[in-house]
Amino acid sequence: MTTTETTPHSALRTPNSEEVVIAVRGLTKVFKDFWGRSKARAVDNVDFEVRRGEVFGLLGPNGSGKSTTVKMLLGLLYPTKGHIEVFGHSPRHVATKSRIGYLPEESYLYRYLNSHETLDFFGNLFRLPGGEREKRSEQLLEMVGLSQTRTRAVGEFSKGMQRRIGLAQALINDPDLVILDEPTAGLDPIGCREVKDLILALARRGKTVILSSHLLSDVEDVCDRVVIYYGGKIQAMGTLKELLATPDAVRITTPVLPRETMERVLELIRKDAAVDKIRIDNPTQNLESYFLDVVQKARQAAEETSGATSGHKVAAYLRGDGEAKPAPDKILERLTTAQTTASVPAPAPTPAVSETVDSKKLETLTRTPEQPVPAPVEPKPAKVDLDKANEKLSSLLGKTK
Amino acid sequence: MQKIYAIVILTWKAAFRYRLFWVLASLLLVAVVGLPLLLKDDGTVEGVAQILLTYTLGAVTGILGLCTLWLACGTLARDVEDCQIQMVVVKPIARWQIWLGKWLGLVTLNAALLGLSGLSIYGLIELRANRLPPDQRARLKYEVLVARASVKEEGVEQLIDETTDKAFQQRMEKGLPKGVDPRAAKAQLREQVKAEYQIAPPGKTGAIHRPWIIHLGRAKDSLKGEPLFLRIKFNSGDYNSSGTYYVQWMIGSSSSVRPWRSEVMSLAAETFHEFPIPPDLFDEKGDLMIFLLNLNDTTLLFPLDEGMEVLYREGGFGLNFARGLGIILCWMALLTTLGLAAASFMSFPVAAFCSLAILAIGLCSGTLSNVVQEGTVMGYNEESGKSGHSPVDLVLVPTFRGLLEVIQLVQQFSPIDALSTGRMITWGQFSLAIGQIVLLLGGAIGVFGIFVFSRRELATAQGTN
Repeated sequence: MTTTETTPHSALRTPNSEEVVIAVRGLTKVFKDFWGRSKARAVDNVDFEVRRGEVFGLLGPNGSGKSTTVKMLLGLLYPTKGHIEVFGHSPRHVATKSRIGYLPEESYLYRYLNSHETLDFFGNLFRLPGGEREKRSEQLLEMVGLSQTRTRAVGEFSKGMQRRIGLAQALINDPDLVILDEPTAGLDPIGCREVKDLILALARRGKTVILSSHLLSDVEDVCDRVVIYYGGKIQAMGTLKELLATPDAVRITTPVLPRETMERVLELIRKDAAVDKIRIDNPTQNLESYFLDVVQKARQAAEETSGATSGHKVAAYLRGDGEAKPAPDKILERLTTAQTTASVPAPAPTPAVSETVDSKKLETLTRTPEQPVPAPVEPKPAKVDLDKANEKLSSLLGKTK
Repeated sequence: MQKIYAIVILTWKAAFRYRLFWVLASLLLVAVVGLPLLLKDDGTVEGVAQILLTYTLGAVTGILGLCTLWLACGTLARDVEDCQIQMVVVKPIARWQIWLGKWLGLVTLNAALLGLSGLSIYGLIELRANRLPPDQRARLKYEVLVARASVKEEGVEQLIDETTDKAFQQRMEKGLPKGVDPRAAKAQLREQVKAEYQIAPPGKTGAIHRPWIIHLGRAKDSLKGEPLFLRIKFNSGDYNSSGTYYVQWMIGSSSSVRPWRSEVMSLAAETFHEFPIPPDLFDEKGDLMIFLLNLNDTTLLFPLDEGMEVLYREGGFGLNFARGLGIILCWMALLTTLGLAAASFMSFPVAAFCSLAILAIGLCSGTLSNVVQEGTVMGYNEESGKSGHSPVDLVLVPTFRGLLEVIQLVQQFSPIDALSTGRMITWGQFSLAIGQIVLLLGGAIGVFGIFVFSRRELATAQGTN
């Protein structure tokens, strides 16, 4: 049985910069027709701030105003009302744009340029010297897995490959602020994972990332704070912890335990919780990690591919100093540490790493200040049918009753 | 500059990768090489060269002009519609730099294609000229493949005004008939005086046309021993069945004892004629006197502006040809500006249509001129002898007058005519063309285009991917 990483990567960082990179006040955008009549209120009185080093998510269904907000941040659209500041300047301030990287929702690239020429062109717009442009282009193409296709015209690329080169051009200038609009659209799961790792790598370096997406898993994996749009308005805003925590439930994950132990645990739990509130099953890894495992094995078996390659390092100039280990390696470390702990007979908690049981946290989760410690409850006569639960337990343990 | 240069290179790459450059270059070469094979000439060497220059340069200008307009509209409008411009404007490049980069890209592309065409035309002419016998080659060298300066009579308009004022004063002393507008009367008097300066009465009457006095000035020093050319044009009031008229010329100076006399010439009316005259007929001051003997029964009229001019060699053909191409490039630059300005706020098909419409209006200056002269768009009814009137005249006639002023900034330069007639295009004219066409007119349109483009919301265009 495998364990899964339950704590989002974003929770491992605590961006604490007070510098406001983006400030939006009362932002409204109303699209009008040729005669000046209002057609659609795409964004309605939106306020938020984004601080340096944050990974900020814009969530919402299609047509909720996310992309419109992003385009106003970049000066591609002008607000009907309200005020925007990016690094303390108007979005149309030209010099500020040298600190911004942008990946639009569709890859609007020049189809007749090849990938190398594309990066060279955008590098020129940032006034990068020739040598630096060349170096960064090589690193970025390597990073996004397109170094084998550098002389192919972008018009011949698949959608996913175009997204990759789009991502590369967004990072050519090592931006302080990266705005990604649906960055994983069209990417395979490996590509999605790599994009998320890249986002985290950027955030670790103190870069600010704004991620606009309707793919909840992407946002959940990387974002520190999110806003949820609907109908052009912000419906919810806050950190993931604040928004997602279910305060009236607790989840405990353990290795496979002997049947007797499990029965004792269940008996204890049943004293305080109704049977229909208790759920027991095998934790499952998510499809993404399973997929990554399969591909990793295939790669090790030296399978060939004509598409984009994967598993490349983040470009050196984007990594900065002290490259952090990629997330799968971290998981591996934690898993081996956890298994070592579990093999010790004495069930003593080992609070050295944050993923193991935190007794203080346990106390917080299990008790609230207002509620007194519940007195042990006398086991009631078994009116509830436990057979089904026992049956399930047996199947989980792999033993016959 | 690095950013603008990047946009220029991008424009060039688009032209090459979409094969536009090669297709256009092939089309131009076909026009340059193929067109002369289809044309009929008058059998003279000069005629062949003039027709070759006129038609090939005209074809090159037409093809390049249309393509330039189309390209200019497309390069910007398509980028906006396909949303590629969004990837560019979010970078630290000002919108005016993007606009200017595209303009420079298209103008340099035009320069390359014009240079290629020009070299082909020049090479073709030189090739043909080298195959001619020496005497014909010499004629070509002096009359077509040359840069000739032009000298016309000076001060005639002033003389006419002075004579008119005197005559009008005398008339006013006698008193004007009742109901006659003095201004109309003076204008009519001026026309009469002007006619006297222009007409050459029939020789049989014993009257002769006043001499044309041409001042060569300081050029006389370089013209010693060099042949000169007379370029004349006349009209005739009476129709001649043969269409030609007999004239003879006497040319000399005030100090000449025996002026030079030409052979009797049979010349057609309403067309330009050029013929050489012997060298050194002018005096020490550089003055040349030209007498006409009208050997017909009909009066001939030599217009003041183009009836008589003396041409002399001032420079070589090559540099003159390059200056002529330079003026054509100025036209292309203006068309580029027009196309980009239209594409700054319109979609591609609409921008192309509007630009072509403006070009068509510019080419219809004759019609506009007629409206302004007649003072109405309703035209002149020859049967009734009256002009029509319409309420829209109040708006259209001043509008057309303004348009004509603008069009004149461009049309006053005619490098194709000058090159085909071996006339000098001076550096002054070339500089004036750059100033008027590119900087003044093009600058005004360009400023408008950049202003509109800078204020445009670029993300409202729908992507077509």
